Amino acid sequence: MLNREDALKICEVVLAHARAAGADDANVSVQSSVASHARFADNRVTTSGRSEDLGITATVWTGRRRGAATGNDASDGALKQLADDAVSIARVSPVQREYVPTLGPLQYGEGRAFVAATADPDLAARASALDAVLAACRTAKVTGAGFHNATASATAVATANGNRRYFRSSEGALSITARTPDGTGSGYFAGDHFDLAKLNAQHIVEQAVGKAVRSRSPKPIEPGVYPVILEPQAVADLIGSLTGSLDARTADEGRSAFAGKDGKTRVGEALFSERLNLYSDPMHPEMPAAPATTEGIPASRLSLIKAGVLENLEYSRFWAQEKKRDATPGPVNYIMEGTRPPTSLDDMIKGMERGLVISRFWYVRLIDPRTIMLTGLTRDGLWWVEKGRILHPVRNLRFNQSVLAMLAPWNVEAVGAAERRSPLMVPALKLSGFAFTSTSDAI
Amino acid sequence: MSIPPVSRRRFLATGTALLAASYVPDWAEAFQPGATDDARRAEAAEAALARAAALGASYADIRVNRYRRESIATRERQVQNVSRSTSYGLGLRVLVNGTWGFAATNVVDPAAARTAAEQAVAIARANATLTSRKVELANADKAVTTWANPIKRDPFEVPLETKTAFLMSLNEAALAVTGVTFVSSQILFVDEQKYFASSEGSRITQRLVRTYPQFTTTAADRAAGDFQTRAVVDRARLMGYEYVEEYPWLKDAEKAGHEVVEKLKAKPAVPGRYDIVVDPSQLFLAIHESVGHSTELDRALGWEANMAGTSFLKPGDAGKLRFGSNIVNLVGDRTQPGGLATTGFDDEGVKAERWHLVRDGMFVDWQTTRELAPLVGQQRSHGCLHADDWSSVPFPRMPNVSLEPAATDVTLDDLFRDIKRGLFVEGRGVSSIDQQRYNFQFGGAVIREITNGKLGAMVRDAAYQSRTPDFWASCDGLGGPATYRLWGTSADGKGEPGQTNAVSHGCPPARFRNVTVLNTGAA
Repeated sequence: MLNREDALKICEVVLAHARAAGADDANVSVQSSVASHARFADNRVTTSGRSEDLGITATVWTGRRRGAATGNDASDGALKQLADDAVSIARVSPVQREYVPTLGPLQYGEGRAFVAATADPDLAARASALDAVLAACRTAKVTGAGFHNATASATAVATANGNRRYFRSSEGALSITARTPDGTGSGYFAGDHFDLAKLNAQHIVEQAVGKAVRSRSPKPIEPGVYPVILEPQAVADLIGSLTGSLDARTADEGRSAFAGKDGKTRVGEALFSERLNLYSDPMHPEMPAAPATTEGIPASRLSLIKAGVLENLEYSRFWAQEKKRDATPGPVNYIMEGTRPPTSLDDMIKGMERGLVISRFWYVRLIDPRTIMLTGLTRDGLWWVEKGRILHPVRNLRFNQSVLAMLAPWNVEAVGAAERRSPLMVPALKLSGFAFTSTSDAI
Repeated sequence: MSIPPVSRRRFLATGTALLAASYVPDWAEAFQPGATDDARRAEAAEAALARAAALGASYADIRVNRYRRESIATRERQVQNVSRSTSYGLGLRVLVNGTWGFAATNVVDPAAARTAAEQAVAIARANATLTSRKVELANADKAVTTWANPIKRDPFEVPLETKTAFLMSLNEAALAVTGVTFVSSQILFVDEQKYFASSEGSRITQRLVRTYPQFTTTAADRAAGDFQTRAVVDRARLMGYEYVEEYPWLKDAEKAGHEVVEKLKAKPAVPGRYDIVVDPSQLFLAIHESVGHSTELDRALGWEANMAGTSFLKPGDAGKLRFGSNIVNLVGDRTQPGGLATTGFDDEGVKAERWHLVRDGMFVDWQTTRELAPLVGQQRSHGCLHADDWSSVPFPRMPNVSLEPAATDVTLDDLFRDIKRGLFVEGRGVSSIDQQRYNFQFGGAVIREITNGKLGAMVRDAAYQSRTPDFWASCDGLGGPATYRLWGTSADGKGEPGQTNAVSHGCPPARFRNVTVLNTGAA
């Protein structure tokens, strides 16, 4: 990975070439990255490797005509070629109506999401951790499959208008699926952290193995609408469709769930349970993010949903200019939290008369963006609860459920403590109703 | 209905005037690797293989690949983005004491290649304690050769304004339909130049060129706060620019415009059981999900359990399990002309081939690699190893999986004829399938009623739901050879770290009896 000086030096060289080739404005980014992984299945490692790469992108404008070129060769000749290519593309491109001049000098906070050791994991330590994971699977007489991954990247950006920035980030992650030999039980658990040393492999494997054993020989139930408890992973599996709908432009253009009638948006409406907040915060202690948006706006805390009210949508620099307002300082991550003290998963179960506990979802797809209607299936752990106790595992179910209805004021009964599921922090949720449409034979 | 060409005057009026001069970028020529580049690539590969052998690897292979991509994105009457990218690097795989190690770098020279070999061997050795079974590879023929897919016109040598004008004319064709409020279109060209070398002596140079045009029309009713979209996104081919020039794209765009306007006014589907006829434009996806993924042997063995899932098919099922009705014949085919997964050789040097996965309704064979084939007692790989980049570990990926048509000239009307209450499903809607490929739900872009053998009005918010073996068992009608079409998906995800694969599926329209249909619009 490149340090600040070397990365910005490449940016400066490309900027100079772009100017010499006739660019009026330019944005150059250099991203260097390294990734190391070990994948295992059938209680043994199946693939393991590391890779290093570089991504140099020159985006230039001649007049208001835009061109962009990307390469991964930092040699002198290649950098000049890259800048020349971008300018050549710009010269024959039509005028970009949505051109916004590149950013000038800005102050950014210090990024907190990088740990050097995560960028270069020790092979022996990883093998030892995975050895313990596989031993736990063998002891429990389950088959373990999983993925251990450590990634890091450094991004430098320089613009013709004087903006200079450099951020680093790292992430370590471990996920495990345990399956019982008779093929009737399966459990999954995952964890991630920007500091690989903070990953608790033992906890992850215990959770996965426990879910596999407890989910053996599931019984079918009729599809229908049931009260549910979604574990944090299950919430994370659904919430991406909500966060992906928080764009102001699509709402203004009448193309999202947050488009109102007669050309308005739904900002200010109490669309969600007053028990819920959703915000972005680059300085979050557990889930820190880059101190800038992808467009380079200095990131700061941005409230999206406050006590159930849709408070803000995301404005890009172009759309903010069109609407004569500021671009939003995020989102750079998504933190969903309760507005009251959290309810533990155990207490949620104790308080449930009848319903389902859901570990995770699979193959979730957006059916209808107007209501954020999703379909998908439960996977790797589904249980029936009656009178505050888990009675038995249940065969997997397909759902067709709107996220707007799921998080509606009348549907959220309790909210847990938020847990990290990169790039989200999400809580467990207890919901009054969740709609299932068919059963699945899959384990 | 024909579409009038967009006039020069109209282009100017809509602000999309382009420079008239023909432009072939310097970049196009600069990219073409010359003899020096080829020599440096081979030198790096030999250095890596020699170093791996010296360090104790029993087998090693290396991919030195260069990728070139050009993408153009537009919406309505403006070009939003033109970008080009190149990526060059090497990825080396070694087998040490029966354990894999892999390392990749963007620096292609002998020193970096030797370092990569050292890293890959160190990784394999560090993981030695995590191996319960030593990897053994099926035999493969040594190949020293070159291969390229036939193209008539290299898209990277076509002037940029020609490509931009094509997308603008596509947008105009859709916007000319009253009621169409938005249209977006994109085109992507990919050029893969691959060099493969193995410790067994294979040296293979390949070039693959793909063309990906796609567009989406939207009709929005702002007063009612309602909108519908019609996406045409699955037409990518392993072809050159001739694909843009020879296919009637503007007719498709105009048709999609009419369809999205009709869809906004369509009545909601009534849930229930229907006989359905599925057009190749949607059936390809049903084949992909329910057949393509379930017949991957690595899934059946549990290697994908933590991500994509396993399969309802078990390793011992080949030759014993009924997959569908006896008219169902499905082939794996890495030789199919235009197929996105078509190649000369796979990423461990195995020659491309065609074989039956399902014959006369019986499941008969798997998708395999050199590592997988011996695990089901086979001597040879079917050639399904693939890496989506030089930096990616090659692993089992789907070939083109295609449904054979009826031998006789069965038409679409023949398939409709005896249906009393049915639906005709065209185009990609939302698809979702479970992790063992049993339960699935597929929407369509355009769904129409069939009543007493006749095609009727469009309905909205319909999706069909079934279970893979039940669905294929209910297949009782296939279109003839003239109805066969090739569709494809350009971003099929699998593996950890995640990789994407482009793959095609050919099929005729097919009829399925008594299938559950949902209305997905009710919140």
